[in-house]
Amino acid sequence: MSVTLNIPTVNDELKDFDTLFQLWQQVGESCSDVTFDFSKCFFLKPNAVAFLGGLIRFIQSREGKTTINKDTLNNKVKMNLQQNGFMYTFCEDKEPWQGNSVPYREDAKQNKDGLVYYLAEQWLGRDWVQMGQNLRNVIVGRVWEIYANAFEHGRTDIGVFSCGQHYPKLNQLKLTVVDFGVGIPSNVRQFQNKPTLPVDKALEWAFQAGTSTRQGGVAGGVGLDYLKKFVKINRGKLEFFSQDGYVAIDENQEIYQSRQPFFQGTLVNITLQCEEALYILASDADDEEPLF
Amino acid sequence: MRHDIHDLIGKTCMTPDEGQKVYNLTYPELLANRPVELDFAGVEIFASPFFNFAIGQLLRDIPPDTLNRLLKFSNLNSVGRQVLKRVIENSKQYYSNENTRKAVDEVVSEQANSL
Repeated sequence: MSVTLNIPTVNDELKDFDTLFQLWQQVGESCSDVTFDFSKCFFLKPNAVAFLGGLIRFIQSREGKTTINKDTLNNKVKMNLQQNGFMYTFCEDKEPWQGNSVPYREDAKQNKDGLVYYLAEQWLGRDWVQMGQNLRNVIVGRVWEIYANAFEHGRTDIGVFSCGQHYPKLNQLKLTVVDFGVGIPSNVRQFQNKPTLPVDKALEWAFQAGTSTRQGGVAGGVGLDYLKKFVKINRGKLEFFSQDGYVAIDENQEIYQSRQPFFQGTLVNITLQCEEALYILASDADDEEPLF
Repeated sequence: MRHDIHDLIGKTCMTPDEGQKVYNLTYPELLANRPVELDFAGVEIFASPFFNFAIGQLLRDIPPDTLNRLLKFSNLNSVGRQVLKRVIENSKQYYSNENTRKAVDEVVSEQANSL
């Protein structure tokens, strides 16, 4: 069946993520021909760019046909999608260029060097952030944990999709990472053999230090907890949307709750403040203590 | 035996495969009671999956005291050390829980056999 998806303006408030997930629901499992209509879209934030790119690949992976109706694109939106490489990826020959956008990125498989370059140079390495190399390395290592989790636990055939942006007036960096695979709650329920475990409990478990659904006898579960602590120190914000669950973590609170609409995969939205003074790294007072 | 991690892996130590590579070199030496030094000079970026596989799984069957005596880390920057510490702490708990599970399983199995 044919479907036209009407893409509205998408910001990054909670209701905007709802809008994105409703688009995924509209597609369902059986759409063979999907047209993206942007007549009512005047602005897209990177969460939308990453999600729409992933949605297109999701449809294509199910033998569906996708069309971006370029005639419906507002000039400002079109320029942004050209700048960040989205149009070049899907429907245009015009190559992206450098601006305030961080490129739209697809990783069908884990590509460490490419991802490190993306995070360190394309997201963090521009002049818009006054940041030393050591701090940049710390952030890359922490944010990498998001991708590592997506690749190991997401069980997705089409990979991971990202887009970011710098907001100079807010002095913030944002990055969205999304996969259309198995969500966190399903993984946790299966691992614990508790099919009726409430979604908020499943998410809370996933974010505890030391918990992991990894099989095979090697410990895991350090990365997300470490990222969580890092975001708090930075006074940033970390949000996870997975299935009917939502996580929000900032310096003041951690929220784990059930929330509709349902989205099968996992979307991560991270916001960091561009103030080096906020990156206070704890010094190791116990350097002489035995490690093991 | 000293292993130059930058030469072996590169300036970023992040993935499970990279960690497994280090483990495969380190583990047999430690089992043979031979000292090992892992030199991280030139390594700039760390992530927990690497340390989980490189170091964490050593705790599966090598006691902490032995690892403290035989395994040395040099030129590991403060961030790498922090991540490593978290991984070690987590792995000790993980394998302790695993040993507990195994012990319980053995008791249950013995009881079943005695019925």
